[in-house]
Amino acid sequence: MADTQAVSFYRVYVWQVPVRLYHWLNAICVLVLIVTGFLIGKPLAIIYSTEAYQQYWFGTVRFIHFVTAFIFFFNFLIRIYWGFVGNKYARWNNFIPFKKAHFEEIKEVLKVDILQSKAQGIISIGHNMLAGVTYFLSFLVFLFQVCTGFALYSSMSGSFLPKLFAWVIPAMGGDFAVRQWHHIFMWFFVVFTIIHVYLVFYHDYVEGRGTTSSMVGGWKFEREDVLK
Amino acid sequence: MVKKLPSIWEAMQTKGYSRRDFMRFCSMAAAVAGVKVSGMASVVHAFEKKPRPPVVWLHFQECTCCSESFIRSSHPIVSDVVFDYLSLDYTETLQAAAGHQAEKCLHDTMKNNAGKYILLVEGSVPMKDDGVYCTIGGRSAEDILKEAAKDAAAVIAWGSCASNGCIQAANPNPTNATPIHKIISKPVINVPGCPPIGDVMTAVITHVLVFGKIPDLDGQGRPKEFYGRRVHDTCYRRPYYDAGMFVEAWDDDKARKGYCLYKMGCRGPVTYNACSVTRWNEGTSYPIQSGHGCIGCSENGFWDNGPFYRHLASFPGFGIETTADTVGTVVGVAAAAGVTAHAVTTHIRKKKIVNDRIERSVTDREPKKEGGEE
Amino acid sequence: MARIVVDPITRIEGHLRIEAVVENGKISEAYSSGTMIRGFEKILKGRDPRDAWAFTERACGVCTTVHALASVRTVEDALKISVPKNAELIRNLMFCAQYCQDHVVHFYHLHALDWVDVVSALSADPKETSRIARSISKWPKTSPGYFSDIQQRVKTFVESGQLGIFANGYWGHSAYKLPAEINLLAVAHYLEALEWQKEIVKIHAIFGGKNPHPNYLVGGVPCSINLEEVNAINSERLNHVLKLIKDAMAFVEQVYIPDLMAIAGYYKDWAAVGGGLENYLSYGDLPTQGYNQPDSFKFPRGAILNRNLNEVHDVNGKDSEEIKEYIAHSWYKYAGGDKTGLHPWDGETEFNHTGPKPPYDFLDIDGKYSWIKTPRWRGNPMEVGPLARLLVGYASGSDEVKDVIHEAIHALQVPVTALFSTLGRTAARGLETRLVARWMKGFYDDLLANIKNGDTRTFNDERWEPDTWPKTAEGVGLTEAPRGALAHWIRIKDKVIDNYQLVVPSTWNASPKDHNGKRSAYEESLVGTPVANEDAPIEILRTVHSFDPCIACAVH
Ligand code: HEM
Ligand code: HEM
Ligand code: NFV
Ligand code: SF4
Ligand code: SF4
Ligand code: F3S
Ligand SMILES: [Mg+2]
Repeated sequence: MADTQAVSFYRVYVWQVPVRLYHWLNAICVLVLIVTGFLIGKPLAIIYSTEAYQQYWFGTVRFIHFVTAFIFFFNFLIRIYWGFVGNKYARWNNFIPFKKAHFEEIKEVLKVDILQSKAQGIISIGHNMLAGVTYFLSFLVFLFQVCTGFALYSSMSGSFLPKLFAWVIPAMGGDFAVRQWHHIFMWFFVVFTIIHVYLVFYHDYVEGRGTTSSMVGGWKFEREDVLK
Repeated sequence: MVKKLPSIWEAMQTKGYSRRDFMRFCSMAAAVAGVKVSGMASVVHAFEKKPRPPVVWLHFQECTCCSESFIRSSHPIVSDVVFDYLSLDYTETLQAAAGHQAEKCLHDTMKNNAGKYILLVEGSVPMKDDGVYCTIGGRSAEDILKEAAKDAAAVIAWGSCASNGCIQAANPNPTNATPIHKIISKPVINVPGCPPIGDVMTAVITHVLVFGKIPDLDGQGRPKEFYGRRVHDTCYRRPYYDAGMFVEAWDDDKARKGYCLYKMGCRGPVTYNACSVTRWNEGTSYPIQSGHGCIGCSENGFWDNGPFYRHLASFPGFGIETTADTVGTVVGVAAAAGVTAHAVTTHIRKKKIVNDRIERSVTDREPKKEGGEE
Repeated sequence: MARIVVDPITRIEGHLRIEAVVENGKISEAYSSGTMIRGFEKILKGRDPRDAWAFTERACGVCTTVHALASVRTVEDALKISVPKNAELIRNLMFCAQYCQDHVVHFYHLHALDWVDVVSALSADPKETSRIARSISKWPKTSPGYFSDIQQRVKTFVESGQLGIFANGYWGHSAYKLPAEINLLAVAHYLEALEWQKEIVKIHAIFGGKNPHPNYLVGGVPCSINLEEVNAINSERLNHVLKLIKDAMAFVEQVYIPDLMAIAGYYKDWAAVGGGLENYLSYGDLPTQGYNQPDSFKFPRGAILNRNLNEVHDVNGKDSEEIKEYIAHSWYKYAGGDKTGLHPWDGETEFNHTGPKPPYDFLDIDGKYSWIKTPRWRGNPMEVGPLARLLVGYASGSDEVKDVIHEAIHALQVPVTALFSTLGRTAARGLETRLVARWMKGFYDDLLANIKNGDTRTFNDERWEPDTWPKTAEGVGLTEAPRGALAHWIRIKDKVIDNYQLVVPSTWNASPKDHNGKRSAYEESLVGTPVANEDAPIEILRTVHSFDPCIACAVH
């Protein structure tokens, strides 16, 4: 314990500004979309007036959902773009496993983080591969929510963006099915957020390299041997 | 003394349409029917010379409710349709002839008016087991449909049965009931609903005959004129939806005030139909106006979107009481529990983990230059 | 010995095929086959019992609502729910409206062309038609000019050379007996009835949102009553209902019944043809003190055997010895074998098509030959329908029923036994429509009185939520559909449908023979029917149509 200071850590600039901005904007949007979406699916019994024209809370909830959905969508587009031009930690190859080593890493991380059957494994600087794959998965679900959400929105909107997604409705067998799936995948985000936030804290707790704050300031601490 | 009935062309002339309009109408009709340009002449001829276009109405797997709805049309009333607008040469529900005399009506029309008759289909076609689940005059529905569709000038699918299979196609679809657009290769005008509104049915026909063009169709072959909007978009209870004022239980004080039926399972937000505007039975009412939610009867596969009194369908395999929210809550709680358990174990093991790390760090230690900034 | 085939039987609901053996100008054997199936009983498994009404209602769009009614009753019986008074009255009003519409359409649009020669109407003298019309009814549309306009319209139609729905009819057949003037009268009323039938169903639209296929609700009715609200059943809606009822009473009394009597007078020979079975079954309906008080029904419940009108047997849908379905000649298989009969709670629906495959010329009459199962009551084939209802009412001592019957047989100068016939069946339908139209007004008055007393409840919520249900439950819902005794049976397990069986009026009447070779109603009544011209078997249509077949119902 006394030798803690003997290890030398280096500051690494991992998350660039666009990534961090994207991340927090996205986190807020997702939380808002979950809350408003859940309310749309299961509205509370709130009646505080006698006539419909005197209250509009449900319309407001829906309005917030739609506005947030647009922010969420464009923010997501920026992240997709940044996946091609950002630093090496932001690029798409961090997300999609294609080498044998990637799969090895996933196995390793599973053993260390989840099963805790092994104490020490590979430490990545950006995402570990498992996290990367999870984020990739969540990007796909973002895309799915965007497609289903805008498809649903297309029937209440005359503007061109939602109309681009109108084809999704017949392809998925009608509005009911689309809504149902859109609703089901809300739960993906609920579960994702629980696990994701926990794991961020977990890594910070056991590795002590500032994982949590890295999404704020961009820097992580990294052991020099890992840096090569 | 005997006044000849006006042909379609004559009728259009009196309404001020030009010959060009008429030709355009014929080419539209032909285009929808998939008639090649060379076949155009006969379509023009059909509507020009024949006083009333011949119509064949086939019945397959159905409940005849579409026919019933058709005769509920109030404008035009159905006797005008049958006597003045068209020549209903075959329809098992109303025609005088039976047995082989009826079959002769069908064959005569197909033979004498090849390429000129309009085919209306009510009901789905069972495609399983060589079609033994629906035979007429000893022939399978599939057989009859294919023959009748071959030379039809236009094909209209009445109701949800013919447009998307309806109830008999609901899980497990015991007879492989199939909508007609999946069986014939021609374009089909789908007029879904269980049944469609009678005035919508006659309007679709008159749209073609009087205005001289096939109505604009959406991606699912439905006339946009009647299926372009959701029931919800023009529902008169919509202000209550936006206000968040919902019926919470049947016949509660909110139901008695006519609040929105969304929480009682109303499918209006996901259903494309004219009910909330055209309404039923000469504008008398529509399901929501009479206190029951829309069950989505014009939507593909709506029977399997139950239970009807829930906003969400039941999650397949878990019984009717389980919805995505129940499953989601269970998974969410499980995730939270898992995370908590993981956190506890981690904390207990932390000491060992940290020591391990420190040890490794110390033994591996060797200074390196700074880097990594990009 | 010729076997003639009539397929499709038209002017009915559904796909019915009759094969008949004609010997010496008479039918000696007949086979009735339902040739289309959708598989409702399979589809209903595993679903929410509260949704079942919507599914079963789609068994038929012609008798729309009756399956919905049977279904909600079935579920209410299983879950022990009793519905509020208003709900019962509203259901009764919808029931009556259905009878009026369905019976009038049957008479004018499905059955009339068997008796009325449209072409002959062209040679009628409109003045004489006018005179006849005025002599039998006070209906206002009876001027000579009115009838000559109608005649002109038919003439123009016929001369166009496009006969449409009238093409290839048996026009000119020697079996048509009406004078040209009455044919013209009937044609005029064919058109009027077509216009009127769309009015009466507005009662369904008011309470159930639409017709065909209005909405029902387990535990009551979906429409709420609120006299202080435009958004509910209020005075305007009730006034609309009243107007429709009054119009219906006028149409039935002044058009349907006079026409029926006028036409029947020319076809009294058909009072000796097509009697068929001698057993009649009615579940009874139109409760006035709740569905669980059959004694209070307007149409009484009971069974008559061997035309013995002095004895009415009790009928119990829950007794496993009473109603059973057989499949000896139907395209199904039972786990217990082809000779067994199953009470509907234990009913099985397993397809077993044994041929012939389409295209075919004849059915395999010695084997299975129909998609319709064969129901029996205590082993007996039973006729169901308007005639059965009136006979059970008559035998049970209902004065209202007796009065309409006596009035009619007196006017026609025929004995009561004339009812046991093709003509009797057709007449019974009209006579009960008279009763139903009057009762409808009574139910309307009761509804108003109840609302006036301050009772506006339309729904009982005690057992709405599935967590209030027992782990298993079973129920039966009995009703009288226009075509006769209709019942649904349900078994609920773990809050979903475990088994759901429908035994429908046309199942009783149109079924094939049973395991003992006994015929059901259609087949039995066809035997003995004369056929003058095997190529134009109008007589077969007359007798079969007198039952008002509905084969989508029968098979489901
Ligand atoms: C993380 C992303 C999202 C989540 C978790 C989410 C969640 C939800 C939920 C739970 C519902 C209620 C569904 C129901 O039960 O009927 C809903 C409705 C809806 N969402 Fe989203 N949503 C997301 C993204 C989007 C996006 C990107 C759009 C695009 C416009 C969108 C548009 C809609 C629309 C149009 C509705 C239907 C609202 C209505 O008809 O009143 N959503 N959403
Ligand atoms: C709704 C809530 C959240 C969502 C949807 C979310 C989503 C994501 C996504 C998509 C990434 C990948 C970023 C990229 O590479 O572009 C990510 C990474 C990250 N997030 Fe979140 N996040 C949420 C909340 C949080 C919170 C509350 C924290 C911390 C306090 C956090 C910390 C991080 C960190 C540190 C990373 C990088 C992790 C790594 O790869 O090691 N996130 N998050
Ligand atoms: N049979 C029959 Fe129905 C009736 N009436 C049903 O219960 O017609 Ni479609
Ligand atoms: S679509 Fe519905 S209403 Fe039309 S025939 Fe089919 S089941 Fe009946
Ligand atoms: S009642 Fe149904 S269709 Fe009407 S506003 Fe409410 S949810 Fe929409
Ligand atoms: S149930 Fe059908 S009738 Fe209209 S309101 Fe809904 S589409
Ligand atoms: Mg059955």
